[in-house]
Amino acid sequence: MRLTVPVLLLIVLVAAGSAPAAQTSNATLNASINSAARLSLSSAALTFPDADPDTSPSIQAAQGPITVTAKARTSPNGTVTLTVRATDELRSGLNTIPASNITWVASGAGFTNGTLSATTAQPIATWSGSGERTGAHTFFFRNLWSYATGTYTLTMVYTLSAA
Amino acid sequence: MRRLTPLLAFLFLLPSPALAQKLELAVSLSPAIITFSSGDPDTVPLLTAPPLQLTYRIRGNGNSPWSLTVLAAGDLIAGASRIDISNVTWVATPAPPFQNGTLSKTVPQRIASGTGNVNPDSIGSISFRLANSWTYDLGSYTQTILFTLSAP
Repeated sequence: MRLTVPVLLLIVLVAAGSAPAAQTSNATLNASINSAARLSLSSAALTFPDADPDTSPSIQAAQGPITVTAKARTSPNGTVTLTVRATDELRSGLNTIPASNITWVASGAGFTNGTLSATTAQPIATWSGSGERTGAHTFFFRNLWSYATGTYTLTMVYTLSAA
Repeated sequence: MRRLTPLLAFLFLLPSPALAQKLELAVSLSPAIITFSSGDPDTVPLLTAPPLQLTYRIRGNGNSPWSLTVLAAGDLIAGASRIDISNVTWVATPAPPFQNGTLSKTVPQRIASGTGNVNPDSIGSISFRLANSWTYDLGSYTQTILFTLSAP
């Protein structure tokens, strides 16, 4: 019986020594994600070369397809819209050609074909939710014999918005 | 034996650490709130929070190893929106004993390790970073992370 005490003590100490010790501390991560948008175009200028209206009733822009990259953050399932509007008609001195004679054919998810307007912003693309999207649109000019000769220009304004 | 019985009972009732080597672990954080400010992902691809100061102490550990781990309680959450917690990484100094890493919500990730005692207090600096993305929904995201200092 004299062995009982040392044996029991040994058991207790071994058990205590095998239990891992740990100390913990908490921290909280906070991240604010605010609205942001960024739009880029592969070309900031479009040129339609002169051509015979009979042989080229529709003139494609010399730059070819314009690549559009639209990045936007919005609320879950929020709508992201890209529009374009002409600031004026095509103008060469006193002569004008309606901006609606410029059309585009689009490619890429969410992108749509359309016709330029100097009065109303026209939709180019619509998406749902945050993200980065890329598409392209190729512009065409309706070529007519009725146009007065000249070098015509207009400015187009692209607007990327998220709701 | 009758005299020994109360003694044996007393020994069993003692908390085990009282009989074990006196191991003392301590860890604290300052600040305990880590904040990432929003930014344009194109110009700020990594959102960096102000450094976190981690103070720790280990006594009575002999020559045994110790480790400090961090585990996230889940993804960053803002209502129904979430950002996978693996988008959060950290840069820790000094190295060693600290090491860089990526947060996980399933497996505690080692942030520091060593052997023996750390006495008096030692301090590490941890900078958490969030990979910025256009795909994140708007919102104020939050999550808790748990630091654990352990020794066998």
